[in-house]
Amino acid sequence: MNYRKLVTIVEEISTEGGQAVDPVARVAIVAAVIDNPWAGQGFVKDLNPGIDSVASSLGALLAPRVIEALGAPLEAYGKAAIVGLDGEIEHGSALIHTLKFGNHFRDAAKATTLLPAVEKRGPAGVQFDIPLKHFTDATIRSHHQSIEVKISDAPHSGEILIALAGATRGRPQERLAALSTEQ
Amino acid sequence: MNSPLVVSTQPVDLSRRSTLTDYSDLATATGLRKITSTAEEVPHPQLGTITRATATAVIANPWLGTNTEHDLSERTEAIAPLLAKLLSDRLLYSLGGAEQIQAFGKAAIVGTAGELEHAGALIHTPFFGNLLREALQGTSIICFVDGRGIPGETLRVPMWHKTAAATRTHYQTIEISLPDAPHAAEIAVVAAASGGPRPHARIGDRSTDRPITSAILKGIKL
Repeated sequence: MNYRKLVTIVEEISTEGGQAVDPVARVAIVAAVIDNPWAGQGFVKDLNPGIDSVASSLGALLAPRVIEALGAPLEAYGKAAIVGLDGEIEHGSALIHTLKFGNHFRDAAKATTLLPAVEKRGPAGVQFDIPLKHFTDATIRSHHQSIEVKISDAPHSGEILIALAGATRGRPQERLAALSTEQ
Repeated sequence: MNSPLVVSTQPVDLSRRSTLTDYSDLATATGLRKITSTAEEVPHPQLGTITRATATAVIANPWLGTNTEHDLSERTEAIAPLLAKLLSDRLLYSLGGAEQIQAFGKAAIVGTAGELEHAGALIHTPFFGNLLREALQGTSIICFVDGRGIPGETLRVPMWHKTAAATRTHYQTIEISLPDAPHAAEIAVVAAASGGPRPHARIGDRSTDRPITSAILKGIKL
């Protein structure tokens, strides 16, 4: 899998709302910056050949790195595709909204739910937020969270930035009633 | 060209030296809210992969509400060494050990309710700098950026060679963003390291430069 750069970010939160967070909340993100497989080809109607050539190896590259960077069992996860200015948002969606990509992360994390996602187009250094949800039950409210990311100098106009994110727990001071209490 | 600040030639594991090893103890002792670590791996045709890393601690400003006469040394001596340990541990992990590190740098951004001198206190004294240099096995003075800022700032942290600061190939910066930090009453403290030079460094060095003065302006033709 060719990439221009690979960025790993780990956040360890030990205080929130003035109270200690115990255990420390860890969130890990791994992002790869790759050439847009459809760059310079005009409007490509059938994206499947590009998906087949890239999506699975991207998932295989990123998934084990998130698990390793997290350093503790994963409880929530999410994904991102940020397309450079010359591409279509559909190009980013094509690479992440396929089981060929996501199953690498689901298998590595022993997860069962679909991955929540952000897809957008932007210039290099654009800021985005990756949504994360519980890894086996997307209705578990304590684990709804997001992490802010900004990768310097990426994506260039002919590139796509693809990221996976994982968290070791729910929100640092989560204390909302469960969804079931309102039903 | 070694600076006179030689502190060690042997690897030092600050984690093993510290009597505070429990993360929650360290967090309490430093007023820590969070640590963000980043590592950037760039494939290079000749050098393999160049890895560069940063670690940023966001702590409560211990001097909030004090005036410009206040002596900063007591809290500096208590907090700065622990920050050096927390941050160097993460750089060493990201880069795979001190022997993999060629360049280093540091930064501190104080929130808007604090004084610029508060940022300086945590990075410009031996209580931070000597420990970071020891852990990364360097001898150079550590280059830096400091200032006062608001949450969400983007910083470019300068780095230069850890044992030969004037080595031109290793002048570089790494960009980091500080989401949600520093709050007005906080300080963000950063340590950065690089496993190599700029990707395609080719602008000579002091040893290869011929003498240059402003007289050269007379010789430049349009």
